[in-house]
Amino acid sequence: MIKILPQKIFFRWVESLPREYAIIGPVREGREIVFQPIKSPQELQMDYINTMAAPRKFIYPSRQLLFRFVRQNNNQLVTEEILPQGQQILLAVHPCDAHAIMVLDRVFLDEFTDPYYARQRENTLLVVLNCQEVDKNCFCDSMGTGPFLHPWMGQDPAKGCDLELTDLGDRYLVGFFSEKAQKLFSFPLEMATDEDIQLKKKKEARVKEKFVKKLNIENLASLLLQNLDHPVWSRVGEGLCLSCTNCTMVCPTCYCYNTVDKVELDLSKTERYRHWDSCQELHFAEVHGGNFRFTRGARLRQFVLHKLSYWVKQYGCFGCVGCGRCISWCPTGIDLTEIAKEIQGIKIQ
Amino acid sequence: MNNTLRPFMARITFIKKETYDTSTYGLQLKENPGFSFLPGQFNMVGIPEVGEAPISFSSEPGEKNKFQHTIRAVGRVTQAIAQLKEGDRLQIRGPYGRGWPLKEARGKNILVVAGGIGLAPLRGFLLYIWKNHNDFGKVVILYGARTPDDLLFKEELPLWHKKPNTELLLTVDEIPPGTRWKENQGVVTTLFDRVELSPDNTLALICGPEIMMRFVVVGFLQRGYAGSRLYLSLERRMKCGVGQCGHCQIGPKYVCRDGPVFSYREIRGLPDTLV
Repeated sequence: MIKILPQKIFFRWVESLPREYAIIGPVREGREIVFQPIKSPQELQMDYINTMAAPRKFIYPSRQLLFRFVRQNNNQLVTEEILPQGQQILLAVHPCDAHAIMVLDRVFLDEFTDPYYARQRENTLLVVLNCQEVDKNCFCDSMGTGPFLHPWMGQDPAKGCDLELTDLGDRYLVGFFSEKAQKLFSFPLEMATDEDIQLKKKKEARVKEKFVKKLNIENLASLLLQNLDHPVWSRVGEGLCLSCTNCTMVCPTCYCYNTVDKVELDLSKTERYRHWDSCQELHFAEVHGGNFRFTRGARLRQFVLHKLSYWVKQYGCFGCVGCGRCISWCPTGIDLTEIAKEIQGIKIQ
Repeated sequence: MNNTLRPFMARITFIKKETYDTSTYGLQLKENPGFSFLPGQFNMVGIPEVGEAPISFSSEPGEKNKFQHTIRAVGRVTQAIAQLKEGDRLQIRGPYGRGWPLKEARGKNILVVAGGIGLAPLRGFLLYIWKNHNDFGKVVILYGARTPDDLLFKEELPLWHKKPNTELLLTVDEIPPGTRWKENQGVVTTLFDRVELSPDNTLALICGPEIMMRFVVVGFLQRGYAGSRLYLSLERRMKCGVGQCGHCQIGPKYVCRDGPVFSYREIRGLPDTLV
């Protein structure tokens, strides 16, 4: 169902949302745009190009309490399960980030369902906003995840998203995917005309022309697997990588975590937290007596190969949605598309 | 919704000291009836205040809610476990992973190669096949340890010699002065020439330090064993046990979910491993 939503009505809708919803959207923070809870729709930066961090932390928090273990007087241990509470709306998420959330769905709602993720996901309304502008590091067009929302590698936005907005100037074209979204929307709207839909197609074609960063993904997963010993890993890994973990912190699909027990001084109570971990950290692949990824080269290879190769075998899709953040936020300018191109034998200017 | 990260409490029914740094813990679960496992699988064993570590079962499967873990005190969690007494409680969740290939092993000769603590996950398998020995061929066990003091299950080993169709060959790397030792000296591969099994009808089950497993695999490939008949149990750090924390990945494989037991064919050529 595709309708026309005047911009004024969109902002009034945001204002009228029930108070039990936390409303999260792109807002300005210094020189950057970040996803944050908003108080007023005026804060929304609907024309943003990319945010510093991905919206994943609102579905999969960077630090999350899992259990509270309480020692009773008789020394019995009582286990309390702490599931996330509260409804939220994620506003104006770009298609690459929306697909990244659907990628995380494949990780956490797999054979084993993570109840924390499942609850948070269930409590979230995902509103996608198609892109109008392209950053120099964006390559979603190459990956197939953007700049407009379409099904991708087994991921159906009609199942994983609630609303899709396309900016047509003074109005949005709005697609309703879920009943939940329709229920929350009480304003009467006009149906979109064929002309509106043609205009959306034209807009998409125009945005697609703007991409400067490109990556050929044909056979890429298997080609990378055949190049585990390529000199690029040690040259870039040892020569440039600082193991700072920026890439994995801003990545919208990184899911690795560590667990930590936080203890009261009198041992009466322990809280078990999980927090994001990074394959770029030295400790990550450590075992007793050694470390299976001791060198920065091995850790860089793990990041790039996981995103562009292993993931396809594990989950049937790439682990990279082409958002370009790992490139933008690498302090030494490491670019995974350039690494891939070097292995593909493509000259880089 | 079933929370797979939720630990259950298990009581330590006995502690048997195996070596100076390794003990076997008898555990009993109360909360979850019907808990059962297969040899080669593992539990996440935890202590609140400290954390969790993946530990394989060392006992034979079959008994509901009762099992054993043989644990060497080497890390934060295992050192904390070493401080516990009988009657204390541990957090347990599992069983996780894919264990030894019971189906494929049926009707075959079984060659077990273990190094050090690597015998622990194989003990349950051995106890299982001895109970069902008509379903299996000959059993040859090659067990190596650093010194005679490092051998696990010392009181049981003499009994293993007498099990049906079974041969047990022991070796140690070093013999400290004053130690009595009549068996072989040298790394476990120095026993290979004494194995008289046909590669076509034998499965090798291997567990030990990864560098040992590398040379074991090379030795057996040279002796005509197919990569699909060599099974290895791998060890990695794990936080979840269910393929989500990401720590145990080797290439596209999750050691916790796809393993910890792999055939060599499945993991050949993967990066970040010694085998």
